Amino acid sequence: MANRSSAVAGSFRDPSGRVYDDGGRILRSVTASAAADFEFVRSSGFYDALVAQQRAIGAQVVDEDGSFALETEFDPAERHMAALHCILEHPRLPIISYPYEWCFPALKAAALHHLRIHREALERGVTLSDASAYNIQFLGAKPIFIDTLSFRAYREGEFWHGHRQFCEQFLNPLLLRAYLGIPHNAWYRGTLEGIASQDILKLLPWTKKFGWNILTQLVLPSRFDESARKGKVAVDAKVLENSGFPRTAYLNLLKRLESWIAGLTPRGQKPTIWQNYSQVNSYAEPEVSAKRAFIKTFIEAEKPGMVWDLGCNTGDYSELALSCGADYVVGWDFDQGALEAAFDRAQSKDLAFTPLFLDATNPSPDQGWAQAERGGMGKRDRPDACLALAFIHHLAIARNIPLPEIIDWLLAVAPCGVVEFVPKEDQTVQIMLQIREDIFAGYDFDSFITCLESRAAIVKIEKVGDRHLVWFKK
Amino acid sequence: MKAIHIFVFALVFFAALQPDAPALAYLDPGTGSMLLQLLLGGVAGALVVGKLYWHRFTALFGHTARVGGSPSDSGESDQSKRDGQ
Repeated sequence: MANRSSAVAGSFRDPSGRVYDDGGRILRSVTASAAADFEFVRSSGFYDALVAQQRAIGAQVVDEDGSFALETEFDPAERHMAALHCILEHPRLPIISYPYEWCFPALKAAALHHLRIHREALERGVTLSDASAYNIQFLGAKPIFIDTLSFRAYREGEFWHGHRQFCEQFLNPLLLRAYLGIPHNAWYRGTLEGIASQDILKLLPWTKKFGWNILTQLVLPSRFDESARKGKVAVDAKVLENSGFPRTAYLNLLKRLESWIAGLTPRGQKPTIWQNYSQVNSYAEPEVSAKRAFIKTFIEAEKPGMVWDLGCNTGDYSELALSCGADYVVGWDFDQGALEAAFDRAQSKDLAFTPLFLDATNPSPDQGWAQAERGGMGKRDRPDACLALAFIHHLAIARNIPLPEIIDWLLAVAPCGVVEFVPKEDQTVQIMLQIREDIFAGYDFDSFITCLESRAAIVKIEKVGDRHLVWFKK
Repeated sequence: MKAIHIFVFALVFFAALQPDAPALAYLDPGTGSMLLQLLLGGVAGALVVGKLYWHRFTALFGHTARVGGSPSDSGESDQSKRDGQ
């Protein structure tokens, strides 16, 4: 094999194997040390059943005897390369996203997905070795489990070693929004491993701490942890081994978390301005039709596989792009209410549409170990086309980004797309300028189009109301 | 209120009772989760946890608290006796 494979940076933690991107193919090594568990799970048929239900990612054994050697950028002495059991191939997902880019219902869906799979696994004598939210990705609005090697044989009486990780990576970020009304995204992005129980407990009102779920899942473990850290109590492996954790209690714990999380909703949820945008925007009906017709012509002509809808709002135009032939749409928006409505749309209509959180002026960076563990927005597979409808004035007017820089950024996102230019006279821009000085002398359609023309071809321009739709192509 | 509820409230209380020792924040093996599961595992596990915290209760009545009490100990360990704890 040519020297093309590189280890996926985020896959270093588990000694059972590693993921490689082999020129577009996604391969996973299974080490000899993980062979027994892997074969047990394989023979149980449990994982294959999940794959058939599209709840876990496909994993085809492409090299049964392990003689297939991956040519990697890494030191061949790397511990698990020494003894491979086999190589698996996974289908490549349309988009990789991280929990700090998910909206509340997406994180909730991922949490429930994890718990249900774990519960069903236990009933089949299989368990999960960890509870990382990064083990879950999305196909549309459907969560899919991607870490094949997290599954292993369940040993009677064993504890749930992923409990704390589950609380930090799923439960606590959800509670932050459900009990305090704060979206989890910024905090999660900062810590990467979620929100520690002792941190969220400092914020929760004391009345909440007497609730049975908070008391048992957060307060008590935190107190125990504190005791242990201060050397007041010590628990060793022998104690745990002697006592054990009965499977029925394990299942009850998972069920209890499942029913608690299923009932969580964002605190004080009222529709945000962008959530209602499609009902209250300044477009009249004929203008909406004209805009839709323009997008339809664009999608049908360019035939993009993947479309990024920048500032997707509730996903009206993402859905339109899909209905006009796009294979998949990733919607990006910074408004939680809009994202939640978009996620609900994708979920209820089973669309190939994944809405994700993005502040375009501060997109997800490369971060984690060696600043490579979790790739930034620039590391995701690029789309074939983008939509930026009523989007760029948020960057230009609200965030002072110069128009040429916005255009360069857009052209780096996709080779073609549609931009809706909202002029200064438009009601939405007027609201932005209501209480601030107009320092945006260069913000007008002529400047925009001159700048775009110098960098890309303009295929079509149409005036809709006081706005312009511009189809560009590099 | 179920007995387990009272037991858990008592544990929260006793876990906070003892004066602070220096915390080694970087050493965190997830003891809290394991103790919780011992509790949820049934009577035997709950007794183990209760035993770990029993010295806190006795300390209230003038007994010297023992550091690092192990549930497998039936009384004070030889080590803790030697250390005079």
